[in-house]
This record gives sequence, structure tokens and C-alpha cells, in this order.
Amino acid sequence: MAESSWLKEFPEMDRVDLLAIRKGLDSAYREFSREYGEVIESFFDPLLTFLVWFEKLLLTTPWWIVIITLTALVYLASRSWKLSLSVVLSFLAIGYFGMWEHTMETLSIITVCTLLAIALGIPIGIVMARSDRARSVITPLLDIMQTMPAFVYLIPVVMLLGIGKIPGVIAVIIYAIPPVIRLTNLGIRLVDSEVMEAATAYGASSTQRLFGVQIPLAMPTIMAGINQTIMMALSMVVIASMIGVKGLGQPVLKSITNQYFTLGLFNGLAIVALAIIFDRVSQAYAKRTQRHM
Amino acid sequence: MKSFLIAVPLLIASTFVQADNTCGKVTIADMNWSSASLIANVDRFILEHGYGCDAELVPGDTMPTGTAMIEKGEPDIAPEMWSNAMKDALDKGVAEKRLRFAGKSLSDGGEEGFWVPQYMVDKDPSLATIEGIIKNAALFTHPEDPERSGFYGCPAGWNCQISSGNLYKALNLEEAGFDLIDPGSGAGLSGSIAKAYERKEAWFGYYWAPTAVLGKYKMVKVDFGSGIDKDEFTSCTSAENCLEPKVTMYPPSLVQTLTTEKFAAASPAVFDYLSKRSFKNSQMNELLAWMEDNQATGDIAMEYYLVNNKDDWMQWVPAEVAAKVEAALDNL
Amino acid sequence: MPEPLIQIEGLYKLFGKNPKSVMSMVHEGRSKDDILAETGHTLGLKDINLTINKGEIFVIMGLSGSGKSTLIRHFNRLIDPTEGVIRVDNIDVMKLSPKELEEFRRYKMSMVFQRFGLMPHRTVLENVGYGLAVQGQSKAAWTAKATEWLETVGLAGYEAQYPSQLSGGQQQRVGLARALCTDAEILLMDEAFSALDPLIRSEMQDQLIELQGKLHKTIIFITHDLDEALRLGDRIAILKDGEMVQQGTPEDILLNPADDYVEAFVKDVNRARALTVETVMKPPSGRITADTIAEALVQMKALKGNHGYYVNDDGYQGIVTLDALEACSDDGSQQMSADIWQELPAISPDAMLESVIPETLEADYPLPVVDEEGNLKGELSRHNIAEILGGAEKHVEEKI
Ligand SMILES: Nc1ncnc2c1ncn2[C@@H]1O[C@H](COP(=O)(O)OP(=O)(O)OP(=O)(O)O)[C@@H](O)[C@H]1O
Ligand SMILES: [Mg+2]
Repeated sequence: MAESSWLKEFPEMDRVDLLAIRKGLDSAYREFSREYGEVIESFFDPLLTFLVWFEKLLLTTPWWIVIITLTALVYLASRSWKLSLSVVLSFLAIGYFGMWEHTMETLSIITVCTLLAIALGIPIGIVMARSDRARSVITPLLDIMQTMPAFVYLIPVVMLLGIGKIPGVIAVIIYAIPPVIRLTNLGIRLVDSEVMEAATAYGASSTQRLFGVQIPLAMPTIMAGINQTIMMALSMVVIASMIGVKGLGQPVLKSITNQYFTLGLFNGLAIVALAIIFDRVSQAYAKRTQRHM
Repeated sequence: MKSFLIAVPLLIASTFVQADNTCGKVTIADMNWSSASLIANVDRFILEHGYGCDAELVPGDTMPTGTAMIEKGEPDIAPEMWSNAMKDALDKGVAEKRLRFAGKSLSDGGEEGFWVPQYMVDKDPSLATIEGIIKNAALFTHPEDPERSGFYGCPAGWNCQISSGNLYKALNLEEAGFDLIDPGSGAGLSGSIAKAYERKEAWFGYYWAPTAVLGKYKMVKVDFGSGIDKDEFTSCTSAENCLEPKVTMYPPSLVQTLTTEKFAAASPAVFDYLSKRSFKNSQMNELLAWMEDNQATGDIAMEYYLVNNKDDWMQWVPAEVAAKVEAALDNL
Repeated sequence: MPEPLIQIEGLYKLFGKNPKSVMSMVHEGRSKDDILAETGHTLGLKDINLTINKGEIFVIMGLSGSGKSTLIRHFNRLIDPTEGVIRVDNIDVMKLSPKELEEFRRYKMSMVFQRFGLMPHRTVLENVGYGLAVQGQSKAAWTAKATEWLETVGLAGYEAQYPSQLSGGQQQRVGLARALCTDAEILLMDEAFSALDPLIRSEMQDQLIELQGKLHKTIIFITHDLDEALRLGDRIAILKDGEMVQQGTPEDILLNPADDYVEAFVKDVNRARALTVETVMKPPSGRITADTIAEALVQMKALKGNHGYYVNDDGYQGIVTLDALEACSDDGSQQMSADIWQELPAISPDAMLESVIPETLEADYPLPVVDEEGNLKGELSRHNIAEILGGAEKHVEEKI
């Protein structure tokens, strides 16, 4: 082959160099996880304790108390009898078809993931809305988080933290947090500039503007983001179970490998039921609290 | 316009020529673990250059590939099928003349068992036996419950989930304080080994060989002290409805090359090659270690293997095919 | 003696990435279009100098894009100038720290917005009380005040409604109440009435005038409508492409437009509605004050015309013509009496031109302009009116 072979074939990097880079980065990561793994793991210990406790709470509480509590929460949030009734019926069906435990496990981890995603996402969204520089840094990160195949970051996380709840929570949050961040940013940026000017003109401080004007006015958009975050978190249940998170994902995985279609369908439907409940409740809550906007 | 008119007959002619002296289009399942990928690549290269097939690799995994071959007749070849994993279905497929086993891809068979890291055994040789493990259960802390110990089972839905679950019962691991952890996936299971190994933490669980993981991380197979009871294993340990499982070591599992009946009937010459193509575990472990060291993919390992082991593979094919393959290798 | 409250000196505003670096071009006197084409910077304001006095309504006018909003936002520093001095009550606003600036905005100025700028998630009452709430006043305190102001603008009973439940006019009343509620000395109004239909708009203008009569605030009012400017403004400033082209009283602007731009502005205005009689009347052509006919004849002869306005100790009485005097000149010593002069309605110098047009056109003689004390101040003839409304004959014809 002549020197002009690059015309026909892509001038690839030398295989040996490429290998050296790959090996170098890999061993650097190994080094890192060896060095700091334990520290990082212990940093997540409180969260793990909470996750374990919360899951145990849902699993050990008698089913009817769980249903009553959930229905009460749904009613408080949505003020809708219809919705509350369908929650009761869904959970009765879930229990009757033997998916109670898995559902409680999923419910516990999704609840924690959603709360964490909101607690982290809204402040990040606010920072992003306030600074164009922050936005230009965060936006590509969010793109990566949403499109990077989960396993690419799952396995490094497993290397660092082992399998189980914590890496599961991290994976779910990485995937599910972008909407709440993006829509918080968007919501705040879309607040009517004249209303913001009015607040400034009356001498509102920047905290008064943030909590008195921007966040309340961005709330419909933020709620849409939270809603999407919940949906995406639920859609990660199966992926999360691939690194040992207990819940409805496990039977789904099992049904995939064994072609147990009905098992898959039942558990899939239970996930859908959770999703619909979360969705309707958060939307009803949003609608109820934002009648005037 | 003119050139187009010329090109059309040429195109037709060339397809005819190709069809004439080839075995046609062949799809080969490229399973997502290293040894299977290596074998699939070897098959592809030899089929393409030795037999003139239009060979194509398609991604695969034990269960989906097996099912697709039974139900759809596709792909044509599964070069490394751990047939115990879906024994009933495959046997039925063979009985119904949908599938045909060619030969053993791994002549020694696959090795399964419960393993602990070498470094733990170095410290306390008793950990190489199940009694030692049970005695030292406290070493193997459960990741989510410090009160308990953890045993990493086989991922949900895999056939080994049944056997490892039954052995967990038979060995009374639960009473010994071990919880059965479902790692969720092969990646989860190997990830947990890698994590433990990098930090020299304790690990105890199910795994199999030859695999890159066991090639890379030196592990010791735990001795149950029971020997292999093959009958007990097939009748009970690997059966879902086994009520009173007894302790037995894993018998070596069959690792075979599987083709569809349609393909086997249509291409007897290729089928003959597939029946001969086989690796020893020691050889495969070496190759896997080389792959791991060099982060090599299946096609790179294939080149490495074919170039360095001519004596080996030339016995699998007739001389004229071997010559063609060798020529193609020189052209690489 | 007018007391200056807001002083602006040499104010420049450039919009763009790096305004300071482009300032040299501005000082060289390059045009707005040039600067935009060459540097991508928009010249918002150029060398603005003005003084606004305590208690006046100062109107800023100009076409869309002339920089009105930009200018008014400099008063409370919603926009920072590129160059220039802004002094309010002798405080250099540019020197305020962020904290001081907040205080300044809370207590010194309030603002009414074109699109109202109400907060949709707060009730009407909470909107009105917003300024006070921001100041940190207790809920009880601001509720009481806000309720009061809502009543003042005629929206009692709407306290618990949300802005979206109100009409545009009502919303702007809420905006006005919010501005008045903080009791700030200065009121900034950026096209506050532009979004309202003409009827509501003139109602709001009336309300503002009425309130101003009681409150004596200093109001900076922006509009692109000259009628509105003339109606409300004590003084008017006209902006064109970010430059101040004329400042003055409404009459000044109407009668002596500084350039074609202002003239074009003024052309379309209904002057009859904007000008008072006083601003267009001529000095009285003849004044007859004599007691007797003989003396009156002497006075009349001295006049150019053949009529005069009879004024005695009781003030203006009527018109006396030469013919009427000559008809009874047989008895020169006869006292002047109601038989001799004819009644001719007098008009007030403060009356709007529009309101006296019919009488003036009907009368055979120019109408006398007489103030409240009965003093004859001038006269207004058909000819006068035609001349003033000349630029807008159309209007006059319609009126007739
Ligand atoms: N934030 C900004 N960035 C760039 N240019 C601006 C900005 N704000 C205003 N301008 C420019 O400044 C000029 C004056 O705008 P301004 O809003 O003050 O006009 P206006 O007189 O209030 O017009 P209108 O009657 O339409 O409200 C315009 O050319 C506008 O394009
Ligand atoms: Mg404007």
C-alpha cells in the first residue's frame, strides 16, 4: 500500500497508541477507585441507611395501612376522589397479582430518587437560569447524561460503589434529573420580563425576586419537569435492576431472558400503574395550585 | 447514462458469479462475551475466505439467540452455546428438526462454581472450602445490611439462577448468615467482582469459566467436599421444582456449536468444519488473558489467534480451504 | 420657584457587548445606524440632559424605538448608563451600593408598566401591597394600606381576585394603586395607558389628574401620544433616535416645534383640544372705558377698527360699535348705557380652544377674553382660529 492509503481508508490512530490510551485511562480509573472508593462509599452511607430503612418501612407496614396512607396523600395532593379511588384499585390489583413486595421496593427507590432529583435539580436549574456561563457548561452535560447509554456509566459506578441501591440511585438520577434542571432553567428564563422589572423596581432583593416571583411563576414549567423526571426515573427501573436494585425490574428482566411474556406484562403494567399515579397526582397538584396563571 | 447501462449487466453478472461459488449469506451470533466473540470472528473469517460465504456477525446472547434460532431460523450459527442454560428448549428444537448441534466449542466444557478471590485464600487457606467460608461468614459483609453476609448469586432469569439457588439452599448458606444477592445482570455480577478485587475486599459468589473475568482476576473455586453427582445435578440441582437439593459440585457444562437445521442441511462442508472447530479451556484462558491484557475485541483476537496457531486451525478444514484462509491472512 | 428633583447630565446608553469601547465613535458624532452597522451596538440614548422639578408631570415623548423606555429605566437604574450622571434629590444614583439602591427603589420611586407588570400568582390585594411587603412591613400594615388604595382607584371588592380575572383597565388601576401604595415621591409611568382603549384611557387620565391634584407627586410619564402628553404634561421632552430634540411647555412644543420631527408630531394633534384660549388670543383691539358717548367716540376714533369692548368699573360689559355711538352722538354727554353696547359673550382664557370654536365662529365680532376678575385679557377671532388650526384644517372642518 502506498502513502496515499489515507485517501481510501480513514487515517486511524495507531492501534498500539490507542490501546495505550485505553489501558492508561482504565488503570487510572482503577487506581482512583482503589484510592478513594472507600471514602466515596462512606459518603453515601447515610443515604444507603435511609434507603434501606425506607424500603423496610414500606415492606413491613401492613398493606392496608400503606394503601390508606398513599390514598390519603393522593387525595391531599389532588383533591380528586376519582384519582384516589383508582389508586386504591391499582394497589389492590398489584397486591392480588403477587407484586406487592416488588412494587413497594420500586416505590421506595423511585420516591427517594425523585425527591433527590428535585432537591438537586431545582437549585442547579436556578444557577443555570441566573448565569449564562453556567448554562453553557451544564447544557452539554445534560445532553450527555440523557443520551449516554446507561451501562457506560453504570459499570464504573459499580466499580466504585458495588452493586445495589446506591449505584442504582445514582444511575436513575443521572438519567432522570435533566428534565427538572432544564425546565427549571427554562421556566425561570421565561418569567415575564416586565413582572421581573416590576419586582426590581419596587426594590425586591434578589432572594425576594427568586422566591417571590421567579420560582412561583416558573412553577408550572418546573412541575412539568418534575413530572418528566418521575416518568424517566420509572423507566429506569429495569436498567437499575440490572445492577442489583430490587423491585419490579427484576421480574421484567427475568421475563426478558426467559420469554415469560405474561410475567413481563404484569410487572410492566405495575410500573405503568405507578407511573400513571405519579403523573396524574403531580399534574392534579400542579393544576390545583396554579389556577391563576 | 451509457455507463449505467453497462453497470447494470455487470452488477447482475457479479451477483451470479458470487452466488455460484459461495455458500450464500450466513449469519453468525456474536455473543457479548469475549470467548464467544473470538470464536464467532474465527468462524466468520474462515467461512468468508475459506468457503466463500457472505458471512455476517449479528449481536447475540444465549437466550435471545437460542429462541430466535428455534422460532425464526436465524441466525444460522451460534458458535458458543452454553446449552445447559436453555436445555429443554434446545433439545426440543433438535427433536423438531429445527436445530442441529455441530460439536463442542470448548472441548473441556464450561466450568461453573462458587468462587472466592485468590488473595483471601492466600491469607486463610480454609476459605477454599465451604466449611471455611461458613465459619468465616462475617468476613463477607452484605453491602446493604452490616448484620448479614452476602452471597452473589446468578442474575435473575438465567438458568444458573436455579442451580446456584438450589446449592445455596443445600449448603444451608441462609442459616450461616448469607443473603442471596441478585446482581441483576452479568455486568452487575462481574462489576461486583472487579470492585471487590480492586480493593481487596471479600467476595463470595457464583461465576463461570472460561471468562475474561476469571482470566483476569484470579479466583479459587470453593470445594464443597461433595464431588460431582451428575445425576443429582441434572435431576434436581438444575431443576426449578427441586424440593430437597443436595450438595454437589457443578459438572462441566456442555458448550456447543449450534446451527439451524436448514443451514446444516444446505452447507454440509461448513457444518463439517463447525463440528471440528474446538478449543481447550487452557488455550481459551490464555487467549482470554491476552485479550484482556490488550483490551482486544473479537476480530483483533481472531487475527492474533489465526496467525499464531496455524497448526491448530488447519486441522479443522480441508487443505484447499486452509490455503485460501492463509492467503487471506497474508493479505491482512 | 420650581425645585429640581431629578437631574440628568450627559447621559449615554449603548447596548451591546462592549459599549465602553464604542463610546469614542459616539462622541465623534457618528449616527446610530453607522454605529450599529459597524459595531453591532445600538445607541439607545445620546447626550441626554434634563431637569425635572418637584411636583410636576414631566412627559417624555417620541416614536417607537426612540429610547423612552430606556430613559425612564435609568431613573431607578433598571438600566445602567454607559456614561452620565443621574441625580435624584441630590443623591448620585450611580454611586449607590446594591443595598442602598434597593432602599432607594423601595422608598423613593414607584413605577407603572405598559403591560401592567402584575404578578399573576398574587391576588389584587397582594399585588397592591407588594411594594410595602418588599419593604418588610407586616401583613396587617400593608393589607390596610392596599385596601385603602384599591378603594381610591375604584376597585373596592376586587381584593381577592387574581389579575387574570380583571379587564385591562382594571389591571392598570391595580398597577396604579400598587405604585401609589408605597407613598413614593416619584412616580414613573412607562406608557401606562397605551394598552387601554381610548375611552378607558381618557378615564384613567382624568383619574391621574384628579389624584395628582391631591397628591402632588413628581410624575414622569411616557407616551407616544401627543394628545395624552398635552393633556397631562406640565412639561414635555421629545426624544428622537435616542436624542433629546426639544423640551418645553406643551404650548412651546405646539407653537414652536424645534424641527421637522417635532412638527410632524404636532401636525396630527388636535390643537383645539390641546391649546387654551390664552395661548392663541390676540391683544384686545379696542377697549372703551369712557363714561359718556362723546368720550367713547373719541376713544373709538383712536382705534383702528370700528368696534371696541366696553369695560367699566364692574368689568367687561359688551361690545360697542362705531355705528351705535354715532347713532346717539346728538347728545354727547349722554351716559353710556346698556342700550348702546351689545351683549357679546366673553370667553375664559383657560378655556380649551375646542370649547369656544362654535361661539367664535358664530359671532360677528372677535370674542373678548375675560378672566375671572372680569379683566379684559385679549380677543379671539375666527381668523385667529383658522390660523392656529391651519395645520389641521381637516379637524376644524369636521368640527364645523
Ligand atoms: N436590551 C437591549 N438591547 C439592545 N438594544 C436595546 C435594548 N433595549 C432597547 N434597545 C434599543 O434601544 C432603542 C430604544 O428602545 P426603547 O425600548 O427605549 O424604545 P421606546 O421608545 O420605549 O419604544 P416603544 O415605544 O416601542 O416602547 C431601540 O432601538 C432598541 O432596539
Ligand atoms: Mg417602550
